[in-house]
Amino acid sequence: MCVLCGQDFVAQVHWTDRHLEDRARAAAPGSDPTEHQRDRRRERAHRVALTRKVLRHYGLKLDDWGGSKYVLRDGKGRSEIVQDLGSFWPAAERLAGRTLDPLEPRLVEALGEEPAYAATDGG
Amino acid sequence: MAGKRATRPITIVTGFLGSGKTTLLGRVLSEPSMSNTAVLVNEFGEVGLDHHLLRRVDERAVLLGGGCVCCTTREDLVEALLELLDLDQRGEIPRLDRVVVETTGLADPAPILHTIFADPVLQHHFSVDLVLTTVDAVNGDLHLDRNPESVKQVAAADKIVLTKTDVAEPGSVQRLHSRLGAINPSAHVLEVAFGEADPGELFRPDGAVSRAVPGASAGESHETGETNSVSLSFDGPVDWTAFGIWLSMLLHARGEDVLRVKGFLNVGGSGPVVVNGVQHTIHPPEHLDRWPDENHRSRIVFISRGIRPDQLLGSLEAFRGLLGARPLSLGAEQGASSP
Repeated sequence: MCVLCGQDFVAQVHWTDRHLEDRARAAAPGSDPTEHQRDRRRERAHRVALTRKVLRHYGLKLDDWGGSKYVLRDGKGRSEIVQDLGSFWPAAERLAGRTLDPLEPRLVEALGEEPAYAATDGG
Repeated sequence: MAGKRATRPITIVTGFLGSGKTTLLGRVLSEPSMSNTAVLVNEFGEVGLDHHLLRRVDERAVLLGGGCVCCTTREDLVEALLELLDLDQRGEIPRLDRVVVETTGLADPAPILHTIFADPVLQHHFSVDLVLTTVDAVNGDLHLDRNPESVKQVAAADKIVLTKTDVAEPGSVQRLHSRLGAINPSAHVLEVAFGEADPGELFRPDGAVSRAVPGASAGESHETGETNSVSLSFDGPVDWTAFGIWLSMLLHARGEDVLRVKGFLNVGGSGPVVVNGVQHTIHPPEHLDRWPDENHRSRIVFISRGIRPDQLLGSLEAFRGLLGARPLSLGAEQGASSP
């Protein structure tokens, strides 16, 4: 953990997690706290499932780690623990040995050939 | 704790050297309605600003990890804003209505946004509601041709103030208008002569949100030479989690080339998500309770450098399985380097 760069110092919420944080803050006092936890868990599982579809093309795998972090693995048994999507892509780049670019023609082609599936909840 | 208070709005005023930032501020700050506005400037220019809440900050940037310029933290700004917050909370200054941060002419506004969004204290007390960019109607074309900073400033703008329109030729003002529209179709352009602007109109942020859409300029073609902008929509609600994955991946790989992302995203809720980003820095996305108008479709503008609109659309098309919707182009304005 590094205090200087803020890594692991969760005072900073990544923009992709902001809505969950806001929702929890806006909740009326006394409301059921497990409701948000369920929401959060559901979103994390959804994110892991979606991200895996992209990572497959780079030989990487992602799992939820205790509901608070994510663990990213490659085929050689190396792994990195990340907090959010902000630290996720640099870690994936280190493991894959190249930048993961959504505009890369090979990725675009590979993903484009996959059959579309109906999106689950879009919140 | 005392009654909760919304975050204090920050307006960033940027613009190339000599484009009239200080003149504009000098005029606007003399209005009585602006007396509780604090001003942070980098330099006391030749045009003296006279205001009781004026602070000078020395640009001190701390470059973080990746070494990308837009993710630097401006320590001077953190210090100055914390000091203002302290004075405001202790009641030593009248209740702070707004903070105006004036950048140097060569500044890239992205690090200022990054500083405010990333600081663990500032992010809870301040929000950037507007980036105002001044463009000199006489020399604007020249600045845009020669200085990449100037293009970045225009791309980062929510409002563009066209200054010195009184001394510019009418034809050149019109040309500059369309050039600015081509670089940044989401910004509202105001014309101002002698710094005579109405502070209410200048600092009204709602315009920025409602103009998150390419208006009349969509579909028109302009030559900008340096940037591409594409306005797009989706054929249905977009999965927000998937969009977050795609955009964070794009910004990680190409953040410095994505000058701006701005718009509304229909995520299937009762209101849209307001997406607003400058390079690697994304404003905290706002999930609105309802739509501001009748049009409930996603509308999003990408301003980039070196990324072709068809690359963006192709990538979103490939991600359609994850996003749950297909992208639709609403109009592209490409910087044609050759006719």
